[in-house]
Amino acid sequence: MSEAPYVRLKSKKRSQRTMNGITLILIVFFALLVLFPIWWIFRTSLMTNSEIYKFPPSIVPKDWLFSNYEKTLEVFKFWKYLLNTMIIIVPSCLAGTFTATLCGYAFARLRFRGKQLIWALCIGSMLLPAMVTLIPLYIAWTRGLGLHDSYLPLILPYFCGGGAFNIFLIRQFISSIPRELDQAATIDGAGSFRILFSIIIPAIKPAMIVVALFIFIGLWNDLLQQMIYINSSDKYTIALGLTNFRGQLKSDWSLTMAATCLSFAPGVIFYLIGQKYFVEGITLTGLKN
Amino acid sequence: METINKLPKRRSRLHKSEERVAYLCLIPAFLGLIFLTYLPLAGVLGISLTNWTGLKRPEWIGFDNYVKLFTADPYLKDSIIATIYFAVLSVAGSMIYSLFIAMLLNRKIPGRGFFRAVFYVPYVLPAVAIYVGWSWLYEANFGFFNFLLSEIGLNKILFIADSRYVIPSLSLIAVWLAGNLIVIFLAGLQNVPGVYHEAAEMDGANGWQRFLHITLPCMSPIIFYNLLMSLIANLQVITPALALTNGGPGNSSRFMTYLMYDQAFVNYKLGYACATTFIIFAILAAFTAVLFKTSNRWIFYEGGDDR
Amino acid sequence: MKVGKKLGAGFLTAALAIGVIGCGNNETNTASPASTKTPASSEGEASTAPEKTPAKTEKVKITYSMWGSAEEGSVTQAVADKFNASQDRIEVKVVSIPWENYMTKLNTEATAGQLPDTGMMKEDGVIQWSSEGMLNDVSAMYEGSDSKPLDSLAYKYQGKTVAYAAANEVLLLYYNKDMFDKAKVAYPPSALDKAWTWDEFVDAAKKLTIDKNGKHPGEDGFNSKSIVQYGASVENLAWQLEAWVLSNGGGFYSEDGTEVRIGEDASVEAIQKVADLYLKDHVAPLSVGQTDDGIQRTIIAGTVAMATNGAWNVGTSLNTAKEKGLNYGVAVLPYMKDKVTLNTGGANVVFSQTKHPQEAMEWLKWYNSEENNWGLISSGIWMPTLEKWYKDETLTHKWVDNPNFPTYDEYKSAVVDYAQSSAARPASWFFTNHTTEFNTLLSSVLGDVWTGKTTAKDAIAKNLDALKAAHNGQN
Repeated sequence: MSEAPYVRLKSKKRSQRTMNGITLILIVFFALLVLFPIWWIFRTSLMTNSEIYKFPPSIVPKDWLFSNYEKTLEVFKFWKYLLNTMIIIVPSCLAGTFTATLCGYAFARLRFRGKQLIWALCIGSMLLPAMVTLIPLYIAWTRGLGLHDSYLPLILPYFCGGGAFNIFLIRQFISSIPRELDQAATIDGAGSFRILFSIIIPAIKPAMIVVALFIFIGLWNDLLQQMIYINSSDKYTIALGLTNFRGQLKSDWSLTMAATCLSFAPGVIFYLIGQKYFVEGITLTGLKN
Repeated sequence: METINKLPKRRSRLHKSEERVAYLCLIPAFLGLIFLTYLPLAGVLGISLTNWTGLKRPEWIGFDNYVKLFTADPYLKDSIIATIYFAVLSVAGSMIYSLFIAMLLNRKIPGRGFFRAVFYVPYVLPAVAIYVGWSWLYEANFGFFNFLLSEIGLNKILFIADSRYVIPSLSLIAVWLAGNLIVIFLAGLQNVPGVYHEAAEMDGANGWQRFLHITLPCMSPIIFYNLLMSLIANLQVITPALALTNGGPGNSSRFMTYLMYDQAFVNYKLGYACATTFIIFAILAAFTAVLFKTSNRWIFYEGGDDR
Repeated sequence: MKVGKKLGAGFLTAALAIGVIGCGNNETNTASPASTKTPASSEGEASTAPEKTPAKTEKVKITYSMWGSAEEGSVTQAVADKFNASQDRIEVKVVSIPWENYMTKLNTEATAGQLPDTGMMKEDGVIQWSSEGMLNDVSAMYEGSDSKPLDSLAYKYQGKTVAYAAANEVLLLYYNKDMFDKAKVAYPPSALDKAWTWDEFVDAAKKLTIDKNGKHPGEDGFNSKSIVQYGASVENLAWQLEAWVLSNGGGFYSEDGTEVRIGEDASVEAIQKVADLYLKDHVAPLSVGQTDDGIQRTIIAGTVAMATNGAWNVGTSLNTAKEKGLNYGVAVLPYMKDKVTLNTGGANVVFSQTKHPQEAMEWLKWYNSEENNWGLISSGIWMPTLEKWYKDETLTHKWVDNPNFPTYDEYKSAVVDYAQSSAARPASWFFTNHTTEFNTLLSSVLGDVWTGKTTAKDAIAKNLDALKAAHNGQN
């Protein structure tokens, strides 16, 4: 480096700057493309119903009917649904992330008999569409365990490892942490659990947040199972409430889209909180093999 | 694993305790695998050999469902084609798109956090709603895209109403939704040691060469993970068919999972639907196996395999 | 599934389809909170009932399931509470399930042996569930009653009545009066004996179709790619196509529902004529028979002058549009050879898993009297099922004379009289099994016909065996 001529550094800097300029232009361009469909949903939520079907379509609503949101909130019990959704999501996210971490740790670091086989079974379970086991599970939860109109069939599965995808993700992250770290701790006499809690978990926090986010989104969108297990309307979640709301208004697309926009909000907020941790903090680690 | 044998004897007690900890950690996964996956799966396998409709008492009919699926089903062949076509297009599209965006986002540009959020947001939106939103953009008579086409004097394209365009149109939505891949790619990119790039630059490698010879190899484990996840997810596609196309036009978007859903929850042919499920399972397993088999050839493990 | 019509309302693609009967109609909604302070909860324990005294003898508890929102559920529960208070033997609890997943939920419940005692059921499920032995014979329900439902509204399986429709619906032709006035075209006739022939219909549609330069189809310089106003749109959801096929002397099935007739020339020709409205006549927007919001996309959006669809649209969307200034009318359908419209209506059934079939029937009969569904009927979503509302003009006035409807004379002629005329035929799911599979396959087969990539003749000929197999429940 010391031999590198000053000029070269300078030109490098300049080319870096033009590169960044081009990058920025590209990013803005793509960002606009990505945002466009979202804008389309949003502008629809501010229109009258006949305006939606007009040709040529207007990109900006004629009158910004924020009153659509007021009307929506009269029927769409957003806060109630949000609370119900959180009652499902919070324990599921915590339990799912924690048990996925335990399992991922075992697969990544610990030696035990039957590891290959259990790992293969784990991977195999990713190949099953959730819908496949829907009916046997429904019978087991309702007939076998008598859980009618209950959140437990939605929550309890997350106490069982949080899904193979997430175990896989955690395992990949743990594998990428240098082994020397825990070996050093072993020599200091730390047991496997101590290593997990004092070394591994702090290092993979970003991955754990990603897992929590995936579980969050998965539950957020899992209409079918919520539909099947929840009966009474005072237990409705956001997803169910949204479906129901659409049913109620039939073709009232602007109000439906207003409800949709409302239901975007928690996911986006969760992401914004989480991203600080998992995007900035992730540099330490990564996915290897 | 080989290291185990080299361990001094005195650590075998430690090894025992390690094994105990491992099993303890895996209790949740055991429960999940047994009760939420493999027992139900066995149930499904059993059901696929019956004519159960969910209503009547099932009768054992051996492999009749499978025979019927392959010889007489009017949808199965089209369905497999549609699924694979969609999955290949969507996986390829979203891998290229998300890697590209992740690389852009990995540069030091102003407002990076904001842009990351922008590209990620589609992934967190309620799935059904976004399909409705897109359907307005695609609509044949008053949709925005056709408005643009007519403005520049082109013919209308019936994006989701034309069997030739429906899969590419739906794939575009899948690509748009690939925010989760971007996040994982970003994580990986930040892990590529900067020294490699600097060294290569010193040697006069241009951007493209560095991408090819440094970024791609270093990223290969992450690419593999994303490829696998995205392939599995896209082969199980169902929402666009449920929300937008009902499998049409014709059978051009009658994805396998949708076919199964239709058999099970619309026509109540649970036995038959379970047989379809096994075909889906077999196709997924085949794709995954190929991916794993070839992975050793193109995945570059930094510092070797540490499994 | 294309068939997603429920009585009231299917809309949009099936998954989005929404329906749900009771709502949309502001009257029911606004009326409900006040009149029904019933907790929305369907958990009956805390027994909502404002009952006078706790009945001495244990009441029989039955559950009634319906599709609809929580609010609609509580409206119905309020009606049920009246029933509960009116006698001391039966206690009805209402469970509402969103339309979208209604049948999925019932099916999983049936599998687990958890079905309610009685409930609504989608049209195309009734015969199938009967054939599985899941439904009770309800022939006895109206024995000794002074007024029975219209004959066309009984679901029959092997000669037995297994359900009565909860409501009546017919297919109609809606039109935008302002567009007709502007083009100086006579309105479509609301009287059955003056019904337009198909050719008259297409001619009128041509006069109402305008491109960017004000030209009509058939004129020099008409550009079919720049149409700004379409003349007509015929709903091509598979089940609605049956009306046209019958009208042309063909049929989906033989009269007893045993044979498939869709391959006959008359059947195929009718479907092609519908497709040609877009392909050849250039009077219709493209529709691929996938979505269920036909009237919204056409009449209400103000892009199409005439559109066919079910009577429920009067109450689910047209009444609101009318308030906002839409000047629309209703007419009878045009015809090809015979004058035909379809009668339909989702069913109220008694599940065979119930332990209390008598009580369930008693409740249904009580509940199905028009007074208890007045919100739905007076808004125009449901039409009454009992004959007397069609025959006794004072009752008809009571029903139709309100601002939710088009003018009385027009509606009376084009809907009320039409529905009890010889033109009204029950949709095939009243007596035919496996209509779901058949209609799903048919709309898949016709996918490329609407866009002109193939003809109805070729598409159906190629898939005739599969269609027959679908009809037999063999695929």
